[in-house]
Amino acid sequence: MPHATPAVSTRGLSKSHGETVVLHPLSLDVPQGEVFGFLGHNGAGKTTTIRLLTTLLAPTSGSACVAGHDVTAEPLKLRAAIGYLPENVRLYDQFTARENLLFFARLSGVADPVDAVRETLEFLDITALADRRVGTFSKGMRQRVGLAQAILHDPEVLFLDEPTSGLDPMGVRQLRAVIEKLHGRGMTIFMNTHLLSEVARSCTSIGVLAHGRLVFNDSMQAVADRYDEVGLEELYAGVAAAGVAA
Amino acid sequence: MSPARILSRQALAGLARDRSVLILVAFFAAMVLVTAWLGWSATATVNAIYADAAAYLSGAGQPVPPNPVSTSAPLAVLRNLGVYISLIGAFGAIVIGQHLVEADRRAGTLPLIGAGPFARRDIALGKMRALVTATAAMMAVAGVIALGTLLTLPSLVVTGPDLGRLALFLLAGWAYVTTFGFLALGAAARLPATAAGLIAATVVWLVITFVLPELTANLHPTAAINPVTTLAATPDAGVFHLFSALLGPVSLAEGFAWLSGDLLGFLPEGLAPRGLVPPALALSVALVLSGLFAAQAATRLDLNAGGPDA
Repeated sequence: MPHATPAVSTRGLSKSHGETVVLHPLSLDVPQGEVFGFLGHNGAGKTTTIRLLTTLLAPTSGSACVAGHDVTAEPLKLRAAIGYLPENVRLYDQFTARENLLFFARLSGVADPVDAVRETLEFLDITALADRRVGTFSKGMRQRVGLAQAILHDPEVLFLDEPTSGLDPMGVRQLRAVIEKLHGRGMTIFMNTHLLSEVARSCTSIGVLAHGRLVFNDSMQAVADRYDEVGLEELYAGVAAAGVAA
Repeated sequence: MSPARILSRQALAGLARDRSVLILVAFFAAMVLVTAWLGWSATATVNAIYADAAAYLSGAGQPVPPNPVSTSAPLAVLRNLGVYISLIGAFGAIVIGQHLVEADRRAGTLPLIGAGPFARRDIALGKMRALVTATAAMMAVAGVIALGTLLTLPSLVVTGPDLGRLALFLLAGWAYVTTFGFLALGAAARLPATAAGLIAATVVWLVITFVLPELTANLHPTAAINPVTTLAATPDAGVFHLFSALLGPVSLAEGFAWLSGDLLGFLPEGLAPRGLVPPALALSVALVLSGLFAAQAATRLDLNAGGPDA
């Protein structure tokens, strides 16, 4: 049963760079506790949407609320309620994973940073990596430490931008398990992705963005009911093509 | 702990682990040591010659003049220090200022910092605080070495006011190098391309160190790095007097050299600073303006930039 206040809510949210419209007015609600998969081709505007919702970019028009806080009126309260994992996070190579995480824990205002880091490392099952320098890590290891920094302060809403990008199948599987655990804790997850298989396995609702326009938005249950025969890939191709034509 | 302080501590820890920064700081410390050794060696030589001459003159029943070391300003033995601060110190501060932005950009952590629950000005404050601390540490190293030299030299009587002047000289050196550090920090924040901030600040530093003295006093680059020749009077030609009056206040390298000579006691008698603005005031204004530039640029830093390809 969805809660009354959506975790993410946008009304006519748009972004333009000069004459170029990157995101057409977007109206979207993501209920609390959902794992929302945001699909779209490269350059569709998914990353821009996340940057708007995390206050890293200022909207050209429209409004948005995350965890009940307006992106322009209450940016500090909003940022205290979110976690964010960008697509290409590297972290500080010359520091260990623990040192990186302690820095971000302190920056997030966590009351007991040492404890929070230890618990998060255990939760993600990466305690063995804690005292190794991040510069020696593979992409998958970095991604898991990056995810750790995003959930250290137990945010209400977690934004993941292409979290499976560059991961091997085992890495994808481990990330999926983490997402399921976080979902089990009631966290709302807003995830940009290309991988339809991940959406099918992890998400409870999806939105499809094509050339900056939201062309589809529904629950995975509805998708399953309505498009059971054609499958998710056909659905995606169909709505994306329709969006382009529109 | 405030977010600015957390950011500053992290930035300083990053600087302490960066090889290029460490090499530059070590080089600076080594050159300060060389300065100290040169001053010590020259004074010790004069002392030795004086001892021989005094013994000879007393033996011959001649009057013994006073030791020239004891009649000149004791801090003058550190005259080369100003040159190394002006050259290596300023360039070190530029590298540090650029590194403070570039390290986050390269690590892709700017969006993570930007998504933190604090104001954008805290990011600027944290960076500036780290820079100010790093340049102060550089000057502290120079100060410790300079003090060690002064206290171990025989025949050199260092008084309380001398130590006060040494402290003022180090403060002026800190203001001078921090100005360039702020410029690099601001330029790196403004220009997202890798090393663009470093190049921009270095160009400004080169112009101030080598081009302006050529316009105001016909000083060639080799003369501009000499603590004695850089303190030349404005040549007696209309064009140099004009440039001296116009560019004097922004010719910070000359201003710092004049201030060094004045504070360390080796300023040629009657030599006036370039332009109408006293060098101490020009340095202070430059520090404030570069600080404002750094604050404004770092507050508006594009937090979306960066990542492994940056």
